[in-house]
Amino acid sequence: MNSLLRHTFSVCPVCLRRVPARLTARESDIYLEKRCGEHGEFSTIVWRGEPVLADWVGEVAEVAGNEAPDCPAACGLCPEHRQDTCCVLLEVTCRCNLACPHCFAESSSTCAGDDPPLDQVQAWILDIAGRGKTFLQLSGGEPTLRDDLPDMIRFAKKAGCEYVQLNSNGLRLAEDPDYVEALAEAGLSFVFMQFDGCTDDIYTTLRGRALLKTKLRAIEQCGLRNIGVVLVPTLVPGVNMQHVGAIIRLAVATSPVVRGVHFQPVSYFGRYPQAPDDALRVTLPEVLRAVFEQAGDIVPANSIAPSHCDHARCGFHGAYIVTPEGLKPLTKPTPSGCCHPSPAEKNRRFVGIRWQRPSSRCCTDTEKPVAPAADSCDLGTIEGFFQRSKSHAFTISAMAFQDAYTLDLERLRQCSLHVYADGAVRPFCAHYLTRSHAQRR
Amino acid sequence: MSENEGLMCFKCNVPLVPTKTHFSYLKHNFSEEMPRCPVCGQVYISESLVLDRMIPVEQMLEDK
Repeated sequence: MNSLLRHTFSVCPVCLRRVPARLTARESDIYLEKRCGEHGEFSTIVWRGEPVLADWVGEVAEVAGNEAPDCPAACGLCPEHRQDTCCVLLEVTCRCNLACPHCFAESSSTCAGDDPPLDQVQAWILDIAGRGKTFLQLSGGEPTLRDDLPDMIRFAKKAGCEYVQLNSNGLRLAEDPDYVEALAEAGLSFVFMQFDGCTDDIYTTLRGRALLKTKLRAIEQCGLRNIGVVLVPTLVPGVNMQHVGAIIRLAVATSPVVRGVHFQPVSYFGRYPQAPDDALRVTLPEVLRAVFEQAGDIVPANSIAPSHCDHARCGFHGAYIVTPEGLKPLTKPTPSGCCHPSPAEKNRRFVGIRWQRPSSRCCTDTEKPVAPAADSCDLGTIEGFFQRSKSHAFTISAMAFQDAYTLDLERLRQCSLHVYADGAVRPFCAHYLTRSHAQRR
Repeated sequence: MSENEGLMCFKCNVPLVPTKTHFSYLKHNFSEEMPRCPVCGQVYISESLVLDRMIPVEQMLEDK
């Protein structure tokens, strides 16, 4: 018998209607339980083991029954949404040069419809920039299939987007140096690159082909053009959960080109191979423990904190400086919550200044130069700390996306990662929410 | 001449002397040679140091 922890709301994974839900505990594991009048009862693991959920999350208000009763079905970010926008994701194509068994966007080489024309994308970017959403993620599909991607980046920077991130599998970055050069010239801030592990069998399982050499070449090509890369592993039980430490080690070894690792436990929306049971789930605390169990010799203890901008159950982050002696931690574990008047704005700056490599070009009159690859590493002086923290910033972070089984409105309503579509911005997990596998097929 | 040379203490009317000075922010410690009044101990921190170095360093040390 599970004990009740708190009430919330979710959706029926079959019909996506909003239903009451409960977080319940069985020993140290926590489940999201819900019942749809038409489709029955559902229970999904959402938290396994330490740290204790209440300690990790801190004080968060439950979602009241009369709070945004149309959420998430009518979402377009209502005034009652609990968080501002940190990043806006914009899909610029649905085409992809891979056909991964797991894909939230259900992309493929033969997706229906043409790419939106450049002038349409530019109009969207103007709309996004005009709302003050200055951290733009260009996504897909695989955005690098578009030859006019540099034009989009250039346009976004001119329109006022402070950071322009490319979400990519890295294939074209590895194979087309001129294209990487064009992206850099256009002002690309950094690349979020799919990177699931350090052995080819992982890629064969998750992406359909051996890709490790390609990924390493993509990192190298970005490095030659001063583009920062964040490695983004999708963690799948039985595939790469034992490779968390190896990925972190490779990321540190390829600093300062690689600026961090952003783990994403597998979630089941879009395309996925089979309906998930609890054994196919990785929860956030398992990722956290894997970081320290597998890389505790290089990742200092207590250097990772819960998400402050998004809900604490959605992610974690740790900031570091890579030094010749190892990772110097900057983050101190603090309860969730942010005293900044705009947590989303602070989050934007937090990641932007770390993931973007300092310019190797001449400085402006108002900006003193930053050594692109400072050899000196005296963190005891302001100048030494400044130089090294810019040149060798590093983050370890995670984002646990929600699907129709795990969706918790308490988390969704605090989401700051939003997707732009049809003139509206919506939380990522609301936008990509899909009915259960059995119903889609 | 650097912006730190030839500075006088307004209060004591004596030249500031470069002196090793210790700073602390969020439990991180730094030491820098700064112009300091040998009489009253006041330290001069230039506007450019504050804007171009200290604020970015503070931002790097601050959490989300």
